[in-house]
Amino acid sequence: MKAHDWFVEHRVEYATRILDGDDIATFEAHLVNCEDCRREVSRIETELAWLPMSLPPAAPRPGLRRHIIQYVLDDARVPGSRWLLPAAIAASVLLAFAGWTAGRQQAQSLEREVTVLQVRTEALEDTLSVMRRAGRILQTSVEAGDRRGGLVIFADETTHRWSVVVHGLPPAPAGSGYQFWFICADGMVRGSAILVPGAGSTMFTTGMPETGGAVLGAALTVEPLGAATGPPRGRQLAHLML
Amino acid sequence: MLKPESSGSRARAEPFEPGRRGGLAAEREASLRQRLVARDEQALVELVDLATPWLLSVVQAMLQDRDEAEEVVMHTFRIVWENVTLETGGNAGLMPYLLRVARHRAIDRLRSRRRNERKQMAVALEWGRQSAPPVEPDEAGHPGWQVHAQVHAAFEALPAEQRMAVQLAYFEGLTQSEIAAQLGIPLGTVKTRLRLAFDRLRTALAGLKDWVL
Repeated sequence: MKAHDWFVEHRVEYATRILDGDDIATFEAHLVNCEDCRREVSRIETELAWLPMSLPPAAPRPGLRRHIIQYVLDDARVPGSRWLLPAAIAASVLLAFAGWTAGRQQAQSLEREVTVLQVRTEALEDTLSVMRRAGRILQTSVEAGDRRGGLVIFADETTHRWSVVVHGLPPAPAGSGYQFWFICADGMVRGSAILVPGAGSTMFTTGMPETGGAVLGAALTVEPLGAATGPPRGRQLAHLML
Repeated sequence: MLKPESSGSRARAEPFEPGRRGGLAAEREASLRQRLVARDEQALVELVDLATPWLLSVVQAMLQDRDEAEEVVMHTFRIVWENVTLETGGNAGLMPYLLRVARHRAIDRLRSRRRNERKQMAVALEWGRQSAPPVEPDEAGHPGWQVHAQVHAAFEALPAEQRMAVQLAYFEGLTQSEIAAQLGIPLGTVKTRLRLAFDRLRTALAGLKDWVL
């Protein structure tokens, strides 16, 4: 039996994660250099991907849907999820009110919208609570393109969370995006990507990074799109030190 | 064990026809994926509505703990939200990708639990129990039900000893050695049963291309 035959025989077991621990490590080491096995494992995973659906669907507990959305949007630290404008709320609520009478499909769509708004409302309340408790407020101007905006940080030193407001920025240049950074004792640690909507400002709440050591300050850069990891590569627009 | 009797009859009465539904499903999935990539929160809500019952079902069956199952499902959606691209899931699509992520997370938890507790799951031999609560009577109208009926029929068509092996391996997260110990049979027999079973399932499920979104 050739050495490779063992891997061929165990592709299905690997793809379905039923190999024993030592064998998993052996197989994974082999996969690094075996295009044939990688392709076949991927094919098996695809073919068997539906198997979990042999079980009947389970009815989620009430409230789970909202918990999921909140968990995903909060912890993903997507600034856009923290956006809330009173006019948008009013319009959406009116839209929702009108929509309930317009049939099931529209009602479902509006229900989703309401869920999003509920989550956003809770996110805003959370953001405002950080601002209310903020023991320090730091701000600096930001120049981007031909516009002058600003970066403001409301630092809640009790919960170690910041509400960050970035305003007055033009859309990022093509092929790039704004990026928020923590300046830490051990170097720069990536924070949220900054989505700049039409009004040119955004707001988000963030906890402190889990790596990098003590937080000494924050910075804003313009990064090339696709650079989702690693140190800053783009131009620094602003920085603040605590 | 895996589902109520009703689905078997539905599987025969309403066979899944990928060709008939394929275009619409593929188009809807592509649209959903694009909206997710564009950070459309309503697309996330839509995906949660569609996928949660199926993810919850398999994870709950594996973990036998509703709270923990919900955590895994929540984390699964977060992984997708943070990492989704236009290529996520490849040709198979988003739903198989979600199922795979959720199952792998559940397996990680099961094995971590075993390592910590140093005990086998006492539930592994309770063949015939219904681990996930059945859905309401209108189940056939649930998005994805036809895929479920097809997959369930393929699973039920396996010989009993192969079905048992797949149940323990795939849905209970046991390794082959653990299955051999649980069933008191040689490891080689377990391997043979699983290989035969997965070969049959691969053939039976290969035609399933679309999830009826």
